This record gives sequence, C-alpha cells and structure tokens, in this order.
Amino acid sequence: MKCKNVHNKLIFFLEKELPVSEMEQVQKHLDECSKCARFAAEMRNTLQILDNDKVNDENPFFYTRVKERLSKQAEEQPAVRPVLVRILQPVAFSMLLLLGVYGGFMLGQAPNANIAGSGFTEQEVIPYWNELEAEPIEAFLME
Amino acid sequence: MSDTDIIDQLKQGSEAAFKTLVDTHQKLVVNTCYGLVQNREDAEDIAQDVFVEVYRNIDKFRADAKLSTWLYRIAVNRSLNHIRDNKKRKWFHSFEDEVANKRREAMQVSTSNTDEPEYELENQQRAIILKEAINSLPQNQKVAFTLSKYEELSYQEIAEVMDLSVSSVESLLFRAKKGLQKKLYKCFKKKCL
Ligand SMILES: [Zn+2]
Repeated sequence: MKCKNVHNKLIFFLEKELPVSEMEQVQKHLDECSKCARFAAEMRNTLQILDNDKVNDENPFFYTRVKERLSKQAEEQPAVRPVLVRILQPVAFSMLLLLGVYGGFMLGQAPNANIAGSGFTEQEVIPYWNELEAEPIEAFLME
Repeated sequence: MSDTDIIDQLKQGSEAAFKTLVDTHQKLVVNTCYGLVQNREDAEDIAQDVFVEVYRNIDKFRADAKLSTWLYRIAVNRSLNHIRDNKKRKWFHSFEDEVANKRREAMQVSTSNTDEPEYELENQQRAIILKEAINSLPQNQKVAFTLSKYEELSYQEIAEVMDLSVSSVESLLFRAKKGLQKKLYKCFKKKCL
C-alpha cells in the first residue's frame, strides 16, 4: 500500500471501520513508514480529544434556569396590547394630522366670511391647530 | 418513570413530570448542542430554549413518537439557527476576536486529564484545529457526525433524527470523516499539527 492510499484510509483505520484485510495492510505500512506512522499518531491524538470533549457534568441550576425562562416568557406573553397600541398610535396620529391639514385648509378657504364675523383673529386660531398637531408628535416619539 | 408516563403527566400539567424530563434529558440536549455550536455556554443557553419549546408544544407531541428523537431534532434545529445567526454577527467581528474565542473554547476542552503542561499545550492546539475542521464541515455532515460522535447514536437512530435513509447517513458520515482527514492532513503537512 502506498502512502497516499494510507492517508485516504487512515481515519477509517483508526475508527476500525476497514475490512480486515485493509486493516492489516494499513497496519503493515504504518510499521514500515515512519512519516505515515507519525501522522497516524497525531490523528489518533486529535480524534481522542472528541472523547474528552463531551459534556459530562450536569449544571445543577439548569432546571431553575429553564423555569425562569418559562415564567419570563409567560409574563411577556400578554404582549397583545402593546402590539395594538403600536398599530393604533400611528393610525390615530395620521388621522389627527389629516384633520389638522383639513382644518387648516378650511380655515384658509373661508377667511372672509368666518373670521370677520366671529371675531377670531388669524393669530388666535392657527396656534390652536398647531398645538393639536404638536402634541401627538411628542407622545409618539416618547413611546 | 418511562418517557410515555412523563409525557402523559406533562400533558396534564404536572410540574414534577417536567422536572423529571429536564433532569433525565439535560445531558443529551446540552451535549448535542455543544457538538454543533462547540461552545459550552451557548450550548446550555440553546438547551434551555429546547426545553421551553418542549413545554410549550407538549400537546403537539405524538404519542407514538420517541421523546429522544424529538429532543434531538429540536436541539439540532435550534443549534443550526444559532450558528446561522452567529455567522451574520461574525461579519462585524475581527479575526483576532475569533482566534481569542477559539483559544478560550479550546482551554475548556483540554483542562481534563493530565498534569503535563507541554502535552496540554499540544492538546490545546489539536483541539483548536479539530474544532476548526468540524466547523468547516457542510451542515448535514456536521449534524450526522455530532450525533455519531457526541451522542454515539447508531446509523439507524441518526437516520430517524435527520429523517433520512440509513444509507444517506452512512454516506454523510463517510464524507464527514474524509473531510476531517483531509483537513488534518493539510495541517500535518504544514506542521501546524
Ligand atoms: Zn507512508
């Protein structure tokens, strides 16, 4: 058996998964070829790490952690309201904005008839609409 | 208490049954996650989520199914998701961070069985290379390899967990080992082993 063949079969040799005849051939090569023998030893040592690499000890707090996670999620579960708020708030905000724009538009359209009659000045009316618009913006950002 | 008893009682809301289930299957789940994510802390974290999922979905569990198969499946899926999310995050990590992480993970492995510091150092190096090699395997090969090496499942059992034929599992394990062998040989030639 050539070195290259041995390299291709070495892991299966170490795992004892080769047919008996091939196991013998590889073993014979390893007895004679020091380079392949060194690689085989190195590979055996490396694969052996897997045997020690398992989680053997149990975490005594494991169950408590799982329970904590469960109750934490249960608390977060009635998250239906925040979702609703998150959807409804922009909707309400947009409607207020539209209402504001519409109001402004109406005010702009009928200045002569109304303002003169009712005694409101333009300066008194416009800040009122502005406030209505400004408040939801703040509330929206703070949420 | 058999698995069927545990499941029956859990379906009726027994907390004691849930504790028994967690206690008796903790190692199986943590070890599977560990084999895939190769980090102890992350593995425990994922494993806790696995049991939370079990608790929440116990009603959907079929009476004729095997509990361990179900646990393995959830553990595998969650670990793979974790790896995927981590890959996205790694875009933002430097290579140095990665090496430091690997080193720390390797330290966890090789603090095991010897008092010889030189051997320890060599083993640390081997552990880093081995983890690197396992991590570089294609996903399905890695899952099959983990279930075989870390949980010592038979081909038949791996086939059930992965929902594949036994011959597909054989082929996955064959290719996984070939891949590892190639990686390790490359390293040996470059004298990094
Ligand atoms: Zn040779």
